[in-house]
Amino acid sequence: MNIICLVKFVPDITGFGYDYEASSMVRNHTRMVLNPDDVCALSFAFKVKERHPDSQIQVVSMGPTTVVPHMHDLLRIPVDKGTLISDPLFAGSDTYATSEVLGSYLKTQSFDCILSGSRSLDGATSQVPPQIAEILSLDHMLDISEIDVEKISPTEAVFSVEGERETTTWSMQLPGVLSLGRSSTCKLPYPSYADLQRDVSDKLTILTNKELGLDPSHVGLEGSLTKVVNTYDANSRRRAKTVVETNEEGIEFVFSYLKDRGFV
Amino acid sequence: MNNEKIIEQLKTMLEPTQINTNSEDLYDASADRYKKYAKARNVLDVPAPLAIVYPYTPEQVRDLLVFCNTNLINVIPRAGKTATEGGLENWKEQTLVIDALHLDSIINIDTYNMQATVQAGVPLQVLEDALRKEGFTTGHSPQSKPVAKLGGLVATRSIGQFSTLYGAIEDMVVGLECVFPDGHISKIKNVPRRSGGPDIRHIAIGNEGTLCYITEVTVKMFKIYPENNKFYGYLIKDVDTGIKILREVMANGFRPSVARTYSEEDAAQHFYHFHKNKCVLLFMAEGPKGIVKATGEAIEQAVEKFKDGIIEQVDSKHIENWFNNLNWSQQDIDDEFEGMKEHDSHSGFTTEISADWSTITKIYYNVMKRVKEEYPRFHDLTMLGGHSSHSYINGTNMYFVYNYDIHCAPEDEMRVYHHPMQRIIVEETLRLGGSMCHHHGIGKFRNEWTKQEHGSAYYMLEKLKEAFDPNGIMNFGTIFPQEEGKKYQ
Repeated sequence: MNIICLVKFVPDITGFGYDYEASSMVRNHTRMVLNPDDVCALSFAFKVKERHPDSQIQVVSMGPTTVVPHMHDLLRIPVDKGTLISDPLFAGSDTYATSEVLGSYLKTQSFDCILSGSRSLDGATSQVPPQIAEILSLDHMLDISEIDVEKISPTEAVFSVEGERETTTWSMQLPGVLSLGRSSTCKLPYPSYADLQRDVSDKLTILTNKELGLDPSHVGLEGSLTKVVNTYDANSRRRAKTVVETNEEGIEFVFSYLKDRGFV
Repeated sequence: MNNEKIIEQLKTMLEPTQINTNSEDLYDASADRYKKYAKARNVLDVPAPLAIVYPYTPEQVRDLLVFCNTNLINVIPRAGKTATEGGLENWKEQTLVIDALHLDSIINIDTYNMQATVQAGVPLQVLEDALRKEGFTTGHSPQSKPVAKLGGLVATRSIGQFSTLYGAIEDMVVGLECVFPDGHISKIKNVPRRSGGPDIRHIAIGNEGTLCYITEVTVKMFKIYPENNKFYGYLIKDVDTGIKILREVMANGFRPSVARTYSEEDAAQHFYHFHKNKCVLLFMAEGPKGIVKATGEAIEQAVEKFKDGIIEQVDSKHIENWFNNLNWSQQDIDDEFEGMKEHDSHSGFTTEISADWSTITKIYYNVMKRVKEEYPRFHDLTMLGGHSSHSYINGTNMYFVYNYDIHCAPEDEMRVYHHPMQRIIVEETLRLGGSMCHHHGIGKFRNEWTKQEHGSAYYMLEKLKEAFDPNGIMNFGTIFPQEEGKKYQ
């Protein structure tokens, strides 16, 4: 099979701080990680490759060139081909403009299936995968919990989607866009020690707008249909602080607190 | 002698319960906390020892050492098992681990002469608890206190969190007993001080099991005044400010029991409840009231002198609470071990160095710069910082701390992540004249720099090895570089 994985490198939110006085994120020590949903998409691509070794996996990402070391790591796993779409013109693109950029590249590629995560850690709008499917005139499904690796073929995929009350099984004609949800069981293969030392730069293509040829007014901030008004940390609301001692009373307080909120 | 024959011979020397050949225990004994991740993932690449033996007496230690020396069997002395630098890792096919499990008696607590004598296998916590009942303390409090044992602490030249007042283990050891590979048992007597030639305690202290087996130690004890303890904490602008204040306090002749400066990254992981993404400076003063008062005033004066670098004072309760929960227990170690089986991460690594006051921050900033520029897995680092936690009249230490996500096979983790980081730290430290090993020992993974660490004085170290362990049976690969061991590094 010929698989394209759309991946995004996102800020590791565990490294975020929040400046209450300035009401802004502190990102000084933030590093980039592969979006957890996308790990599941890529992980599934490797399962397919394990069953069908002649499969080809191409990873496509849009972002700054600072993610090149991360792309190299994926190529060492090894992903067969990497494409990074990076141009200062694209900075500030909303999901619509991002989909336009990615879609314009994907139109030039042949593939049986596009895999992606369902949502990104830093935005969580889930808009890019369906918009790309729309641009490519393909079917799309979001929040897939599992794709049947034994039944996937260049023409069909069978997969499960977990709803609140039930899990439904679907089949889709391929090519199509399949977006997986996050699961803690998804893991990528380890690169070998020898592969870690390997120069894989020849497997990574970095594309700018020079190659894509998009109208500058259709990308970046200018081409975006939506604007970010404010950014905030969903977990940063300042709460009243209660300090307890490490004694029976303190333990009881913490236990009751957690119990009242259904955590235990 | 083949392996079966060695076990047979052991059975003639010891009771069956003193010989452990359980495969799980042998796997555990084949490496220490240095390769904790590979160990947890069952991918250790080093041979397991043939057996772990548990002598009851110094004479049994002697018999075992003579047997090994005669038959060229490698020996790893062990007491506590909290080593972090590979000192307990096995690099030989034929190895006996001699564990001090049954050398566990507190021989004497002498409250008048302020010294306590214990066997090597006495846990530090047990001795400390016994002393506390009498109103005393060992003054020694490494994070490993609940698990570590006296023999191991002395053999690795350990240091505790209150060292700035009480000193490190070498300042506490009055006398000791040790056994050499040829069977000679030396007892160094307990006197306040003497000028009887070189201080031969230091042949055993810090030998890391490469020269002799320590069977008994006598350590000083101190009166304790917990009711007088005072804590001080500050958010500060940078590491330089913290180091300058530490120096001011020490150079003026004061000895707080704790004097520490944390980089903002390291502070964030220790002081989540108050760090505000700033560096942290903290002190603890203890002892008789008058000394605590004077020390506290000296701290406040030093802080005032460098007030331009002070952001705000922290509630001292925060510092006190933090100290009360700092030590790791066996449960913590077990929990980390279990966590590593499931997750591609662990609780991080450290490399500790020391240097004089004018050099320490140069090393710190050079390391930070080089890591950012050269470290191939920089994008996997989740944390890189450091703290100074043990100060002296002429300088201090720096504890580099780093965590990372692991994106390689478990057996490759050390060479992919830790070793390149350790190399940068050690190279910068040695280049600027510091010591690459402040208190964890050299172990097996800094031995390639042992000669550089000691320079022309390595001659003395080498001669000790030749004199006391001519057959090279004591802890092969530790401290002294070995070509044959490189395949495990």
